[in-house]
Order: sequence, then structure tokens, then C-alpha cells
Amino acid sequence: MKNRKPPKLAEKFLLLFLKDELAEEVLGDLDEKFDSILHKKSPTKAKINYWYQVFNYLRPFAFKFFRSNSNFNSMIKHNFLISYRILLKNKAFSAINIGGLAMGMTVAILISLWIYDEFSFNKHHENYDSIVQVLRKDSEGDEVFVNSSLVGQVGIFINENYPTIFDKVAMTFFRMRPQLLSVGKQSFEEPGYYFQPEAPEMLSLQMKAGVKDGLRDPKSIMLSSSLADKFFKDENPVGKTVFLNTSRELVVTGVYEDLPKNSTFGNAAFFTSLELIYNDENPYVWSNYNIKVYAQLKEGVEISEASSIIKDILTPHRDPEDGPMELLLLPMKDWHLNSTFVDGVQVMSKRFQFVILYGIIGVFVLFLAFINFMNLNTARYQNRGKEVGIRKAIGSLRSQLIRQFLAESILYAVSAFIISLVVVSMILPWFNEISDKSLEMPWGNVIFWVIGIVFTLFSALVAGSYPAFFLSSFGPVKALKGTLKQGLASVRFRQVLVVFQFTISIALIIGTITVYNQIIFAKTRPVGYNQDGIITVRGRSAEYYEKYHVLRDELKRTGYVKEIAEANYPLTNTLGNNNGFKFADTGERIGFTFNTIRVTHEYGKTIEWELIAGRDFSRDLASESGSIIISESAVKKMGLENPIGTQIEARREFNRGHKVYTVVGVVRDMIKGNPFQPPVPLMIFAREGSLGYLFIKIEPDVDYIKALPAIEEAFQRVLPAHPFNYEFLDNSYLQKFRSEEKIGSLAAFFSVLAILISCLGLFGLSAFVVEQRTKEIGIRKVLGASVSNLWRLLSKDFSVLVIVSCGIAIPIASYFLNQWLAGYEYRINVYWWIYAVAGISCLAITIATVSFHSLKVSLSNPVDSLRSE
Amino acid sequence: MKESKLGDFEETILLIVGILDKEAYAFKIADEFEAQTNRPVSIGAVHSTLNRMAEKGFLKSEMSEATAERGGRRKRIYTITGAGQKALEISRELKLSLWDQFPAFSHGKLNFNL
Repeated sequence: MKNRKPPKLAEKFLLLFLKDELAEEVLGDLDEKFDSILHKKSPTKAKINYWYQVFNYLRPFAFKFFRSNSNFNSMIKHNFLISYRILLKNKAFSAINIGGLAMGMTVAILISLWIYDEFSFNKHHENYDSIVQVLRKDSEGDEVFVNSSLVGQVGIFINENYPTIFDKVAMTFFRMRPQLLSVGKQSFEEPGYYFQPEAPEMLSLQMKAGVKDGLRDPKSIMLSSSLADKFFKDENPVGKTVFLNTSRELVVTGVYEDLPKNSTFGNAAFFTSLELIYNDENPYVWSNYNIKVYAQLKEGVEISEASSIIKDILTPHRDPEDGPMELLLLPMKDWHLNSTFVDGVQVMSKRFQFVILYGIIGVFVLFLAFINFMNLNTARYQNRGKEVGIRKAIGSLRSQLIRQFLAESILYAVSAFIISLVVVSMILPWFNEISDKSLEMPWGNVIFWVIGIVFTLFSALVAGSYPAFFLSSFGPVKALKGTLKQGLASVRFRQVLVVFQFTISIALIIGTITVYNQIIFAKTRPVGYNQDGIITVRGRSAEYYEKYHVLRDELKRTGYVKEIAEANYPLTNTLGNNNGFKFADTGERIGFTFNTIRVTHEYGKTIEWELIAGRDFSRDLASESGSIIISESAVKKMGLENPIGTQIEARREFNRGHKVYTVVGVVRDMIKGNPFQPPVPLMIFAREGSLGYLFIKIEPDVDYIKALPAIEEAFQRVLPAHPFNYEFLDNSYLQKFRSEEKIGSLAAFFSVLAILISCLGLFGLSAFVVEQRTKEIGIRKVLGASVSNLWRLLSKDFSVLVIVSCGIAIPIASYFLNQWLAGYEYRINVYWWIYAVAGISCLAITIATVSFHSLKVSLSNPVDSLRSE
Repeated sequence: MKESKLGDFEETILLIVGILDKEAYAFKIADEFEAQTNRPVSIGAVHSTLNRMAEKGFLKSEMSEATAERGGRRKRIYTITGAGQKALEISRELKLSLWDQFPAFSHGKLNFNL
């Protein structure tokens, strides 16, 4: 069998360094080890172990060329000793050189960890390859939408009818929001899932206590180990009672290891039964789209094949008037990065674009650092002509010189690598915070080390190759005569590298400014209502639903509350979407979806919306249940000239026995959902109390420190058992910018680093150039050049390079930024001043950096520079 | 001057060489070490230690006859020398003497909650 032999490559590698006389016994021993693991475990494990064993033979005693007292050995020692002394001699220069490379490596390592984490999303689940989510694709006019909300019968149907395709089906409630769990006096709001009993097995939860099959009884709950610790400390949680939203009594049947953060269900603090959320209703119907369906395919079933089989199962259960709706399957590997659909076709998601973008930035920053390293090394070696001459004169071979120079650059590169490892492990917690990840240093990962070491050696070799092969080729006399003149070609080459560096830096600055601008622009977007001083409380128990008016009176009596209102959805999302409306008079269909919400009459006064036509809901009128208020964009989309009084017919009864509603008011568009998207057409119904979300508008100008306890006290007086957990609306709204802000702060972080690296390089390079021209400057001074003359002369060269970089960076940046902005409906233009700021700031930084050396030399006494020689 | 002290890992390996007797070659020793101590060790690490102890004169080694297993390759069998035995004895005496001076132990019962 071909798998039963130790890996050939490992054997070859071993023989490469192993002493010949040890070969026989060592190969024999490793063979035996290989066989023993092969029998006990698997061929793969045996192979990995073989490599491990081979690497563990990298010890001095086993090396071919490592004989104590050998010439070679002491030469290597000598090489590194000299390198170390040179490093110490030019402390500033070495620090710049090593620091720059270390910074680049740090960024590259961080980004690689981040990207690795993105790609390993969900891989933790053992059934990663066979889990799929059922999606539906529906057409509305010309538009095709892909959606994940489904009816409960879909899961039941495919489970019963296609046992050869689906191994397991697990459905969960569509909306996941934190629930209140309590044990005794302790209560926590925790995110969790209402799932069918197959979920724990399908998601391969690792049980710490209790049973995996713990959701069969709808009155059971499974807790994550961190939540179980919070509630029960050292006690055994299994069999204990937990209250869900203060009313449901559930028994803990299992405790599972917390899921990793990079899992779709990573935030799950508990799993409980799907049937719980429906009370006594049957969740498995053909009409209510509020369930997500997950399934595990049988082994060997192709996803495309399974997809086409279940494609049409919804059709017989739908109104033919509603347009076609197809089902499709999305494999788990696509959930995180490939779940964006446009017009029903899978397209590259924003997230995936960012993975690519960060990858590119990482490569660039690393490349910048690498260029610096090369540039500085090359520049530095120019001054070592004399050393080369002397070494040659006393009999150094060329190969020995090459080795000396390579040893130096290896020392530099390896120090940089070690520093970057230390830095990464130190800043990882901070990086995790801004990127919202839980990354860890892969200390035990062989691939990580191999890549890291290979890159380090590669950069050392490339950067060291110029001096090693070029300088060592000179004859001793020529070399002794003094500094080696560098050709025009190498100067040009360095200029190109500098231009390249600054192009990247400028592009990153432009990008960062644009991202921040876009965020600020969206943050200051008018939302159509007043977010100040509104707190949101979620209603949870039955008690709450009957006491709206009592609560309102009590709260207003505190003097701190201006108004309260309820709605069936919070002000921070656009849930509740319905279509199928008609104009009542003509019967013409309205071909788009409304965001439909139900509110109490005081809603408008509480959130201070802007009425632009008609009137607000009023309690003075006998009944408002047949009235609706719509938003500006709804009017526009329907093409109404005089919207007030328009009658709209719904497909089913929405509010208290009405099917036909009259528009009584129009309000300014309200931004509740994505602040970067166009406003969603709103349709608002008036309703008496019992809606899930309570909004309390605190009087402006009152002290919150006094107001909040008073409000809580009044609230608890009316609803003693109901938790008073509130959120400030403006805070919750700002959460919507989190992902953009994350991008912004990462972009800022990277551009600062890129500029820092480029400046370090420039600083070193200018030092070198100025040093080479010391005599020239001395002569110029003697002949009467002023300080400003000289300063301009020396700074000019670099400034020209930066201006050239601007010319290249601006079109590139504007192309990519326009692409990025095109993804947002509500967006800024890329203004010219952004380019100007980026270019001018880069130029300023450059001149400041270069001036440090040019001024120093311009101000010095020409006697000092001319005296030598 | 050659180092002639016996380290802790070295001592364990040396004892295992003694236990394995005719079968004392790097792979077997590493295997036995893992079995006895429950700690993973690479063959390279063991080999390096064996080599060091051979230099110190605690071990001597010989290539075995070729056999059909392991592709006809010979093994290097290690045996403890007189000096090795001596070093082991010294180390054992030292430990025994230390144990004797351990007050809790000399009272006849082990009580570590001092």
C-alpha cells in the first residue's frame, strides 16, 4: 500500500543534515516509530509524527557539519560576532532597520491570523461539510430576493419525504434576540436559540454534563458552560430549574462547551425547544414565515442535487397570485463569507471583499517593510568598501565575504521576526477588541512557523544578496580606495522603491479619511424622529400587556416622563414586512413591500416624528383602527399626488377586523434599519397597548441620574415582577455603525503603520544620502550657499518622489473607493480635498523627516566635513 | 574537562537502558520512557541524551546484527558502563539520604501538609 511508507521528503531532509554514520540507526528507529503509530492510529498521524521526529533531530550532535573545533564552526561564530558588533555600532540605524521590518511582520502576522479566522468560520462543527441551510428565492415583479425565513412545514416535509437525502433537520425561530433567564435572584439577558431537538447532535455540541439529546421535552433547556458557571458555580446544573422570561419553568438537561466565537451560533448561551416560543400554537404550518430551516445531508448527497429536488415543494401551498417561490440549499461553508445574493445570484459579500482587502493591505505593508529593509541594507553596505578591501588583502575568500554579509542580514531579519512575535502576542488582546475576534497565537502550528521562518530567511537572503555578491566581487585595491561608487541604476531602483512605498501610504491615507467621512456622514443623517432621551424596555410577561394606561399615568406623574408609547417592533430595525396591498378603489396591486408596524396613539408624540401632511393618530376619535400613517417614500413609491384619504386594501386583516385602511397622515422617512440604505416605505397602524416594545421619552433638561431611578420606581410599582431593563435609543442606534467603525479603525491602524514604516525608511535613506554628500555640502557652504539653499537642495529629491507617488496613488485610490462607496446607497462623494489632505500631509511628513538630517548637515561647520581625509 | 554529573532526564534514560538491557536502542528507550512516565518525548531528544552520556562515559554502544525488520537496518544498542553504574548509585544514595532527613518521613508517615 502506498500510504504505508514514511514520507520520502522527510527522509531526504533528514539525510541532508544528519551525520552519515548515524543514518542507519536513526532511519531504522524512525521507521519503527512510524510503524508503531501506523498500527495504533492512522497513516496521516504516523506521517505527521515522522516529520516531528525528523525536526527533533535538528540537534548539534547529529549535524553533519557541526563538529566542535572545526574551522567552519568557528567561522560561523565569528561571522555572527562581527554582525552583532556592527549592529551595536550603528544603533540608530539598526533599530530603524530591524524595527521597520518587525513592524511589517507584525501587521502581516495579525492580518494572516485574522484571515485564517475568517476562513475557518464554522469549521469547528464536525458536520461542517454536510450541514446546509434551506433558503427561499422569491420574485416580486422583476426583483428576486433570497431570504432565509421559511414556514415550519418545510422542515417537516423534507424530513418525512426525503429520508435518503436528509439525515437530520433542525429548525429554529427566525429572530434571535436575548432572553431573560433567571435562577433564584440572579437574572441575565442572554442570546440563545429555540431549536428542534436534533440541533445539538447536528451542531456537534461538546457536552460537559447531561445529555446531548436534551431538547426532546419542550420544558428543557441546555446551557453553555459559561452561563452554567454564572448561575450554578460549583453545583451540578443538570436537573436544576431555570426561568425563561420570568414565567417559563425549564429544567436544565445539559451543559455544553461554549461554541467558539467564529461560529454562526457562537453567541448561543442556551438552546431550548422551538415549541416553547409558539405556546400552544402549532409551529409547523404552511403559512407563517418565521422559521429558519437547517439540515444535515446524508453522506454522499450532492448539494446541487438535493437543491433541485426540494426546489418546488412550496408551490402547491401558495396563492398562485403571489409569484413563484423556489427553495435552495446553502452549504455551511458559504454561510459566513458567501451568503450574499443579488437578484437571486450568489455574489461576493462585503465581508469577503474585506478579507481580500485586508489581505492586500497585509501583503503591501509587509512588502513596504521588506523594501525598506532592502533599501537600508544596501545603502549601509556602501560604506563598507574599506572593510571589504582589508578583508580581501589579508586573504579572505569571496565565499567567506558572502557568508559574512549574509550572516549579518540573517541576524537582522531573525531579530525582526522575534520582535514581531513578541509584539503580536502583546497587542493581540487589543487587536481582538477592535476586530471583534478571539484570535490566539498559533504557537503550536507547524505551518505558521514554516511560513514565518521561510519568509524571514528569504528576506534576509534577498536583502543581503546585493552586498554579498556585488561588494565581494571587487578587487582589494579598488575596494580599498574608498567608498564604492554606486551606479545610476541602483539609485533609480531605490527611487522606484520609495515611490512605491509612498503610493501605498498615500492611498491608505485617502482610504482612511474616506471611510471616516462616510461614517460621520451616515451618523449625522437625519433620521426623521428624535432619538434623544428615549429609553426602550421590552415587555416580557403577560402582566405587562394589560397595564399600558396605568403605567402611562404613573410614569407621567413622576414629572420626568414626557410621553410613552408602545410598538410591536423597536426603533432600530425594519422587521415586520408585508406585501400584497391594493388600492381599494381601482384594485391595482401595489408591487412592493411595506415595513408595517403597529403602535399606540402616543407613538408620534413620543418619538417626535415629523408630520408633513394630514394628522397624527388621536385618542379623541372613536376608532383609529382603520387609519394608517405612511411615510414620505411610501407616497413617492406609490406615486400618489394627494395621499390623504387614499384607501388601501390588505390581503388579510391586519388590525381589528379591517381589510381596508385610510391614509390619514404622512410622515418624514424614518431611518430605523441600515443607516446606509435608502429609507424603507413605512405603513403604521394604530392600536391599543399590548405591543412588545415600550418607549419612554424622558423630559428634556432633566437630570438622568434622578430621572432613571424615579422611572424605575414607578415602573416597578405598576409591574412589580417585571424586569426594568432599558436601553437608550441613541446608543442602540450607534451600534449600527459598529462594523463600519471597525473597518475605519483597522484602516487607520494600517495606514499609520504604513506611513511609519515608509518614514523610517526615508529617515534612514536620507541619513545615508546626506552622509554621502557631506563633502559636497562643505564645499558649497565654503562657496557661500545659505542654509536654506542647502536644505532645499537636499529635500528636493525626496519631495519630487512623493509628488510622483501622489500622482500614482490618487487615481488608484479613487477607483477603489468609488467601488466601495457604490455598495452604500447613502454615501458621500470622494471630495478633492481628501486627496489634497493626503498628499500634502504626506509631503509634510516627508520634508520633516528628511529635514532632520539635511538641516543637521547644513548647519554644521564646513571645516569639520572638509578636514577629514 | 568533561562534565560528569547526571541530570534528572539523563538518570531516567540511564535506568531505562538498564531495564531494557539487550533491547536498549533509541526508539525502544523513547517508547519505554513514554510508557513509564506518560510524557511525550522525541527520539531525537533521547538520542541526543544517549550520545551525551556516551561522551561522559556512562554508556557504551555497539551496532547490533542486521535483522529482517526495519528494512534490514542495524540498531545501536547501548549498555551501561561501570562509571554509569557508579553515577546511578551516587544519585540514589543522595536521594535516599535526603529522604531520611525529611522529618515527616522519618516519623513513619508521609504528611505533606506541613
